[in-house]
Amino acid sequence: MDPTQRQRWYEHMSQKYGIPKEFLIREFERELSWGNPMDAPLEVPDKMEVCFKYSLGGQSRFFRELRENRKILGARCSSCSKVYCPPRSNCPRCYSRTEWVELPGTGTVVACTVQHYTTSAFIKKVPFICAYIRLDGSDFLLMANMEVEDVTRIHPGTRVQAVFREERHGAITDFFFKPVEEIQA
Amino acid sequence: MRRVAIVGLGLTQFRARWIEKTYYELAFDAAKMAMEDAGLSKEQIDCAVYGIYNDFFQRQYQPDAFVHDYIGLGLKPAVRVNTGGATGGSALRMGFAEVASGLYDTCLVLGVEKCADCYNYELGMATPEVLRAILYTADMTYDNPAGRTAASGFALAVIAHKEKYGNPTEEQMAKVSVKNHFNATKNPLAQSPKILTVEEVLNSRKIVDPFKFYDNCLYTEGAAAVILACEEKAREITDKPIWISGVGASTDWVMPGNRPNIYTFESSREAARRAYKMAGIRDPMEELDLAELHDAFSGTEIMAYEDCFFCPEGQGGRLIDDGTVMPEGKLPVNLSGGLIGCGHAVGATGIMQACEIALHLREEAGARQRRNARRGLVQSIGGTLCTWTVCLVLEREE
Repeated sequence: MDPTQRQRWYEHMSQKYGIPKEFLIREFERELSWGNPMDAPLEVPDKMEVCFKYSLGGQSRFFRELRENRKILGARCSSCSKVYCPPRSNCPRCYSRTEWVELPGTGTVVACTVQHYTTSAFIKKVPFICAYIRLDGSDFLLMANMEVEDVTRIHPGTRVQAVFREERHGAITDFFFKPVEEIQA
Repeated sequence: MRRVAIVGLGLTQFRARWIEKTYYELAFDAAKMAMEDAGLSKEQIDCAVYGIYNDFFQRQYQPDAFVHDYIGLGLKPAVRVNTGGATGGSALRMGFAEVASGLYDTCLVLGVEKCADCYNYELGMATPEVLRAILYTADMTYDNPAGRTAASGFALAVIAHKEKYGNPTEEQMAKVSVKNHFNATKNPLAQSPKILTVEEVLNSRKIVDPFKFYDNCLYTEGAAAVILACEEKAREITDKPIWISGVGASTDWVMPGNRPNIYTFESSREAARRAYKMAGIRDPMEELDLAELHDAFSGTEIMAYEDCFFCPEGQGGRLIDDGTVMPEGKLPVNLSGGLIGCGHAVGATGIMQACEIALHLREEAGARQRRNARRGLVQSIGGTLCTWTVCLVLEREE
């Protein structure tokens, strides 16, 4: 490809896939400047993407309460009284409807690990804690990530509290957990 | 091989949008209804097969795991099946195999699909984004970049058929649309009940030549479930077991350009042959009382008459002209309204079709009841021009 065509190729792919041109140049310069023989395997940029206006259905109130009222709700089964968080509209054990209950936002770490390497979406945040937390008032465990100064201080049994972000989107990431003693300090 | 019966069924409304429920909440409703219908608790379900088509629709890879969890069947074995539009039929086939083989005595077969969560913000509507999600199932390297859709694929087949045999004509296709929309008016769960005229169908806006708006099925959200049981259990559970007496499945070249022709669907013919052979059917027109065929498009229903051997190859158009497939005809097709009238909630569709046949065989089909229905056919097709076809013959107790 001549240099003008090559520039057009970078612009086209950059626009089509939202990949900055510098990265395309890094990955494809050799290919596009006759650096590879005709029979060599050819790699091409692509991405798979679908946009949503996704209905949260029976979970809707849970996310509105996070966004508007900084509240964490659980769902209590109307017959067996088990409390689910993440919430469920129907109890999977006895098939009864559930009703909303407010949880205090405190809980206990049941198991935790330090994430040193992770997905592209979170890789700039390492190291952080990934933990199962038993929220007070809930019968089950909630998976959460924790942002703490010193990851070595979180252990099973550590008491934690939900902290709501100032900017909330109506998503599970609207809050994160901190050790109660760090909040009190 | 053990005999297998449908002993319970559950259907949600088929709708354009189930905004108040997620896919797993919708699945729960159908599962609960099926268990109530069978009089079984979830503890009495041995295993499950889930039919869910598009991971993008659900905004979730492996969505079956979340459905299984939500309906509280944890610790029981379960698998998910996906064969495009034939997903529901394939799920039934796998459920049949679970029970017929003797591995399990009861099996929940559940199909669910939400699609209208996909959304194109620039156009302010769902459908083009739904199509985008679907087109990821077309060959990504050669076919997808042509901008084709399921409709254009089937349009090309219908055109090739007309070129070869002189039918289906646009009028014949319009008659199928009128019939299926009308049938839907008798089905309280249907998405598109409508009294239309042939002229209204012919004058509706063009989608892909020769298909007009009313020639196409719509995208649907819904769930459908059946509970299958072995003979011994079936007799304990119900006095109206619906036997699955024939199961046939086949596949064809996924890129239709590799096939000898595109005016017949060889996978459909093979699936029908196998299902009839297993059920001992020699002359389907004489031995079937009703059929639910996969009318994703009006023209493909007409091609399905031929592929299911209701008539010789090339004569499908005649069956809609002479009234054979009408509600009062010799072999009514799509009394539920079919995909065009009842709706196409992809993973749930084949199971909805089986529920429809079962309701008629149980004499519980209300205003659309086919009199003396003893035996019916379900045809479930999927992929690019019937990459997959599954046919099932259902029979009531003699």
